Amino acid sequence: MAERISFSAVINGQKVGPMDLPHDLMMVELLQEYLNLTGTRLSCGQGVCSACTIIVDDAEKGSYTVPACVTGVAWLNGKSVRTIEGIAGRDEQGGPVPSPIQRAFLEHFSFQCSYCTPGFVNGATVLVERLQRQPIASDQVEAAILEALDRHICRCTGYVRYYQAVRDVILSTPGLTTDGPQFDMVARQEVTQ
Amino acid sequence: MPHLDISRRRFLAAAAALGITAAVRPLGQAQAAMMPSVVGQDPGWFSGGRLRYRRDGMAKVTGSKVFSIDIRACDLDGWPQTQSHGLTLHVPRADRVYLGLDLSVLEPDLMPDVLIDAARVAADKVAMPEASFYGDFFLAEGQVPPMMGQPVALGIWHDYERFRAARKKLQFRTEIFRFGDHADQPARAPYGAARYVRVGGDDPRGRDRFSSMQDTVIWPDLTTDGVQWPGPEHPAFGDAMRHADEIRDVMENPPEGWRVFSGQFSSQSVDPAAMEMENGLGWYDDGKLHVVGATQSPYSAAHHIMDMVSDSNFSLDDLDFVTGYTVGYGQKEHQPFPYYVALAALYGQGRPVRLMLDRWQHFQFALKRHPFSIRTAFAVDSEGHFQIMTCDAIGDGGGVMNFSPSVGTVAVTAAQSIYYLPKSDLSVEVHPSTGVTSGSMRGYGTLQTMATTEMLVDEIATEMNIDPVDLRRRNVIKSGMKNTQGAVPSGHLRAAEILDLVAADPLWTDRAERKRRFEQENPGKRFGVGFAAVQKDFGTGAEAAVVQLEVTPEGRLQMRHVAAEIGAGATTSQMLVAEPFLGRPVDEVEFSVQDWPQMPLHTQDEPYTTSQEDEDRLALDPTWVPRFTSPRSASNSAYYFTHATQQAAQMLLRIGLWPAALSIWGEGASGGQMRPEPVSIDDAQWRDGRLVARSMEPLTLERLAARAHRDGHITGVCVHTFNRWAWAEADFDIDGQKIRAPIDALSVRWGQGASASRKASMTDGGYAFIPRSKAFYPPVQRNNAGTVYYAPCASLIELAVSTGSGKVEVLQHKTWLECGTQIVPELVSGQMQGGLAMGIGHALYEELPTGAEGPGNGTWNYSRYHLPRASEVGVWTQTGHVLPALSDDDPPKGMAEVVMIPIAGACINAIAHATGHRFYQMPVTAERIKEVL
Repeated sequence: MAERISFSAVINGQKVGPMDLPHDLMMVELLQEYLNLTGTRLSCGQGVCSACTIIVDDAEKGSYTVPACVTGVAWLNGKSVRTIEGIAGRDEQGGPVPSPIQRAFLEHFSFQCSYCTPGFVNGATVLVERLQRQPIASDQVEAAILEALDRHICRCTGYVRYYQAVRDVILSTPGLTTDGPQFDMVARQEVTQ
Repeated sequence: MPHLDISRRRFLAAAAALGITAAVRPLGQAQAAMMPSVVGQDPGWFSGGRLRYRRDGMAKVTGSKVFSIDIRACDLDGWPQTQSHGLTLHVPRADRVYLGLDLSVLEPDLMPDVLIDAARVAADKVAMPEASFYGDFFLAEGQVPPMMGQPVALGIWHDYERFRAARKKLQFRTEIFRFGDHADQPARAPYGAARYVRVGGDDPRGRDRFSSMQDTVIWPDLTTDGVQWPGPEHPAFGDAMRHADEIRDVMENPPEGWRVFSGQFSSQSVDPAAMEMENGLGWYDDGKLHVVGATQSPYSAAHHIMDMVSDSNFSLDDLDFVTGYTVGYGQKEHQPFPYYVALAALYGQGRPVRLMLDRWQHFQFALKRHPFSIRTAFAVDSEGHFQIMTCDAIGDGGGVMNFSPSVGTVAVTAAQSIYYLPKSDLSVEVHPSTGVTSGSMRGYGTLQTMATTEMLVDEIATEMNIDPVDLRRRNVIKSGMKNTQGAVPSGHLRAAEILDLVAADPLWTDRAERKRRFEQENPGKRFGVGFAAVQKDFGTGAEAAVVQLEVTPEGRLQMRHVAAEIGAGATTSQMLVAEPFLGRPVDEVEFSVQDWPQMPLHTQDEPYTTSQEDEDRLALDPTWVPRFTSPRSASNSAYYFTHATQQAAQMLLRIGLWPAALSIWGEGASGGQMRPEPVSIDDAQWRDGRLVARSMEPLTLERLAARAHRDGHITGVCVHTFNRWAWAEADFDIDGQKIRAPIDALSVRWGQGASASRKASMTDGGYAFIPRSKAFYPPVQRNNAGTVYYAPCASLIELAVSTGSGKVEVLQHKTWLECGTQIVPELVSGQMQGGLAMGIGHALYEELPTGAEGPGNGTWNYSRYHLPRASEVGVWTQTGHVLPALSDDDPPKGMAEVVMIPIAGACINAIAHATGHRFYQMPVTAERIKEVL
C-alpha cells in the first residue's frame, strides 16, 4: 500500500486532523471522499479547467488559489484552506449570506449549470483580496480580471456575465482601484471640510 | 427506433405488470443531510415583485449538493453510511480480437472485490436494454470491439483507498487488455438515411408540385451493403426519386444564365464537454434497487433499468430512481451510462456503489457530436436568386446507433438555413464506425449543415460580386413561404428584419475602411469581417407537458410542473409565466414532477408512427393522449412548457377566478356594481396585482381566492398539452360552460365550499378529470413537416489573423436574435453568450480525430482538447440584440441552440475575408491557416 502521512489543516476555519491519509491523496479527494465537501468540483483531474479551485491563506503571501485535483494533501499539510463551503457567511437562522462576489454572480445571472461556479467564486475572491492589498487603476480592471480568470473554463455561459459581475464588484468596492470609490470619498470629505 | 420517451404512466403500468413498485423522483425529496441552501428553500430569489436571481441560484453559488455527482450514500435517507466504488475498463482499440483482461499489475491486495464482464452478466441474464440503441454492456472475449472505448469489464472495490490505488495502476495501462490478431470489422448496416425532395409550385405559398409534407419522405432500405436508394419505379418512392433525378439533371446542365456553385465541407467530431462527468450511485438490497442518476431522460432510464433487472436472475420488487441536477448539452440524453450504474449496484454485494468516469474516460465513452461530410450546391440565376439547392450529408454515428437516424434527418432538413428554395433535393446517410458513439448534442446536426450552407452562400456572394448580406436579402424566406419539406413555418418570419439591421450596421458598412486601417496599424495581422444568418427549429414534433396550478384560500399560487433544470433556467422562467394571467408569479412550486395522479391518462407513446386511422380511433377515448411528457431537450421549455403553463394560468382565471370576480361585482341589490356596465372575460386585466375590468372595483388575488373557495368555484386546474407542429385542441364542458382550448386533457379542483357531490368527484389526486367531448389532434401527416417553429439568429464578427502563426484573435462580434417574448432577458442573453462561445469553439478550436488517435483510446482530456477561454470569445467586446416581440402575446421561442450556429459560419467567413482563402474543413485552426498563408 502507498506511503501514508499524518495530515492536519485548517479548512474553512475549522481544524481538521490529524488524519492518517495516503501520501499521494489529492486535495479534491480528501474534500469529497473523506469530508463530504463536494462543492469543490472535479472535472479534468489535470489542473487545466480550474473547476476545483480552492483558496490557500498564507500569512505572508496572502491568499492564492490552487487546483485541488492536482494538489496533494502532502503539499497542503499544515496550511489554511478555504473551499466554496466556507465563502458565504451565515445569518442567525443558519441561512447563507453570500459574499460580495457570490451576490454579484447571483444578481448578474452569471452561471447556468453552475458546475464551474465554485471555482469562479474562489478565483474571483482571491483577485479581490489581491486588489485590497495592491489596488490598480480602473482602466486596468478588465485586463486584470482576464489575467486572473482566463484559466477557468465554463461550457455554459460564454464567461460574459461572470466577468461583468467581477468588474462591478471591483469598481464599486472602496479600495480596490486607485481611482475608484475611495478617492471619491476622500474628495467628498475634502469638499465637506 | 425503440420507444424512448417514456411517460410516467407507461412506466408505472409496466412496473405494475411486472409486480414492481417503482418511482422516479427529483433529488431533493431523497436527500437527508442537505446543505442549508438547497434549491427551493431560499426565498430571496423573488422579492418585491422582482426577479432578483435564479431560483436555484443560492444553492448553486454556495456549492450546495445539487448535482448527481455531489451525492454520496450518507446524504440519502435510509442508505448505508459508506459506498463502494466502481470502475469501468474500456478497450483503447477496435482493430484486433479481444482475448481478455490481465489485471496482474494490481497484485492480490488491489484486485477488485467484484469483477463483472460479458460472461458474468450473460450467466445472470443481465443485458443492456435496447442494445441496438445503447450498445452491449461488455465485449465478450474472442470478439472484435465494435468501437474504441467499448467497456469490457467493471470492477468494484469496497473501500476507497484500495479503489484509488487500483485505479491509478490501471490508468493508461493498455497492456491489461489482451488482444489477438488483427481483425476487420464485420459489415454493419447504416444507422439511417432519408431524402427530402421538393418541387414548389409557381407560388412559394401555394401548392407544391411535390414535397415531403404533401407526398412523402424517401426512406431507403438499409443493408450491410449500404443505403439502397430506391429507383424511379419504386411503388412508394418512385415519384420522389424521379423529381430528385430531374433536379440533379438541372444542376448538371443548368439553363443559360444560371450558375451552379458547390462546396464539399467537413464538420468534425466534438465533445459536448459537460463539466459534470458521467456518474451515478446505486444500491441493490433485498430486491430493492435505488439509483441516483445523471440523465436528461430519467423516465427512459428508469424504465429500461426495470426491464433490464426484471429479465435477469436478480429479483426486483422496488425501483427508486432519483434524478439530480445535471448538465449535458445532449451528452446525457438517452446515454447508456445509467445502466452501468444500475449494473454496478446489482453486483455491489448489498453495498451502495458509486460509478463515475474520470475526464479521460468521459472523453472515451460519453456521447459526441456527429462529424459530417457535406456536399452542398446552389443553382443561382443571373439576378442572384437561388433556384435549386442540393445537399448530400454523410454522418459518422460512431460505434452505436443512438440518435443517429434522427440527427441525420434534422441536420439535412435544416440545411436550407434562412432561404426559400423553389426546388430542393436533400439527402442524408449516417453510418457506423469504430469511433465513440455520437448522440444528440446541442444543435442536433443543424450546426453542421447550416454553418456550411452559410459558408457557401458567402462564397457565392463573392463569386457573383454581390454584397453577402444583400444576396441573403434577395433569397430570405418570408412569412407563409414553404420550407424544404413543404411545410409553412409558424407565424411571421423575421430573418429579413435581422438582415436589414445588419445591412445598416457600421461593423458591416465600414468593414473595408476598418480593414485598411487595422492592417496599416498592425503589421503581421490580417483583418476580416464575417457574417452568417440561420434559423433553427425547436421541439421534436411530439411535445407533451403537464402543469397543475391552484390557488389557496389565502390567495397563494401553487404550481407543479414537469420541467426539470439542466442549467438553462427553465425552473425560474416557468414561475414567471403565470403573471400576466394571475397578476403575479407563482408563489410555490415543485419541479421535475413525475407523479401525476391528477391526470389519469394513458398513451402508447408512438406519436410518430401511429396511423391517422388509429389515432382518430384512439382520440375518441378522452383519457388517451399521443404522449404523456417530453424529456428536457431540443430547446423545448421556452415554447412548449410555457404554453402549458400559460394554459393552466389562463384556465384558472377563466373558469375559477373570473366567476369569483363576477360574484363579487354582481353582489348586492339589483345586480350590484356590474348591473349598469356588464363585463366579459375579454375585459379582464391585471393592474398592480389586482384584477380589473372596465370600471369595476379592482380585486386582489387574495379576495378572489377567498370568494372562489367560499362559493366552491374552481380553484385548481391541471392541463395536458400536445404539439405535433401545431397544438392539439379539445372541447370541454365545465360547470355548464362549453370551452375549447389548446390543451388535450383537463382536470379541475373545486374550492372548499363546493357541494358534496363535487367533492366526491375529486378522486384523481384531489382533482376531477373532465373528459373532453371532442379532441382535435394535428394530422399525423404533419410528422413530415420536419419543423415549422423557427428562431432566427445572425452573427457578425470582426477578427484578426496573425500571418506568422495563423492564430485568430476575436476583436468583437454582434449577434441578433428573434425569440418572441423574452421571459427572463438575463437568461436569454446568458444562453446567447454561452452559445456564441460554443460556436467559436466549433469553428476554431475543438476537434476529435475519428480514427485510432481519437478519444476512444483513452488519452484525451482538456490539456489537448481546447475549449474556448474568455480571452478567445471577445468577452469584453461582444454585444447581443434581441428583436422586440411582435405583440404582448408573441410566444417565447426556444433559442438555446440557434445562438451557437451563425457565429461558427461567421468566423470562417471572416477568416476568408482576412486571408483571401476559403476553408471547407472545420475547425479552422491556427495550423490550418498557417498552411495556406
